[in-house]
Amino acid sequence: MSILSGILIGLATGLVFGFALEKSRVFEPGAIVGQMQLRNFLMLKIFLTAVITGLLVLAVLNGVFGVKLALKPLLFKADLIGGLILGVGIAISGACPGTSLAQVGAGYRDALFTIAGGIAGAMVYGYNDAAILAFFAEKGDKIGFDKLLGLPFWLVAVALAAVLAVLLVVLERLTAWRDEVGPAYDGLQPVAAADASVPAAGALPAGR
Amino acid sequence: MISLQDKAWSPYAAGVVIGLLQIPTFLLMDTALGASSSFVTVAAYIAVLVDPAAAQIKYFASHMTGAKNWWQVAVVGGIAAGAYLSMRLSGAHRPAVSPVWARATGMSSLAARAPVAFLGGFIMLFGARIAGGCTSGHGISGMAQLSVGSTLAVAAMFAGGIATALLFRRVSA
Repeated sequence: MSILSGILIGLATGLVFGFALEKSRVFEPGAIVGQMQLRNFLMLKIFLTAVITGLLVLAVLNGVFGVKLALKPLLFKADLIGGLILGVGIAISGACPGTSLAQVGAGYRDALFTIAGGIAGAMVYGYNDAAILAFFAEKGDKIGFDKLLGLPFWLVAVALAAVLAVLLVVLERLTAWRDEVGPAYDGLQPVAAADASVPAAGALPAGR
Repeated sequence: MISLQDKAWSPYAAGVVIGLLQIPTFLLMDTALGASSSFVTVAAYIAVLVDPAAAQIKYFASHMTGAKNWWQVAVVGGIAAGAYLSMRLSGAHRPAVSPVWARATGMSSLAARAPVAFLGGFIMLFGARIAGGCTSGHGISGMAQLSVGSTLAVAAMFAGGIATALLFRRVSA
């Protein structure tokens, strides 16, 4: 594949990805911080829907057409510690690596600093990659739950998709997505309504 | 009905669209959707400008050439463009700083948010590179492939995020 075709395919994919991220409001810092504060479940809803769709897509691509999967190896310490650090960064920046770009597209200016920080973080990691790999000293296999269970990929993928779909139905019953999006489409409730239950909230400025 | 001019789509419609992007990605690029390694490609080219020896570092070198690396840089560039297009169509232009920060941290100005956002971005990518993926690569793609490592990374990601957000001021739902 030529670099130019790769770039064109990437641009087309990214355009659709960014469009869907913006429409879903999952890129909103209000939704991402809200998910981590367990008061807004938009992020989990979009995330799990994308996982369910991917599971079904790959069940067909792999199960019917024999398309090869592209799993990452299981590296216990790196996945655990790297994941924890990644989560800390997501909460502080109110973004993920992908959604930080959507934030810039939609007008959030602080996201430019998130991206600059991300490039710096990737650079510092790169200079220390060999040392970090030596520190963790692990080798891993590309292992999936289907292999652990000894079942075909498509079967486990469809079963997990069904379980996650039930979870989403329950989640939506508990809290409707339109309420979570909020009137300003930023994953927040108006201050007046949100603080109605809090005594002595009268001093708060309206319309924040 | 869903319109391109809507300010918000149902998370289920948007999630299906994102999940379907695995089809062109697997069929044309022979890989899964991801975002965080593009930061390494950009970082490597910036590093080489200042320090030509950086090109000899294996990790940088492996992210500098080849269609897959440039494909992912184009994906994240496309994300910004796609979000901009969607925002222009709906008119949901965002302020410089989300109001959530004033409520959760008391910081409402760009000057106050900028260094914190930089720090957050730094930690985020440093962690993502240790784990070998982010919310896209480990999350959306890894879990869709039933990867044990990705599922562990996603669980750790939410644990780290929730623990950190506990330190913020409670934002009422």
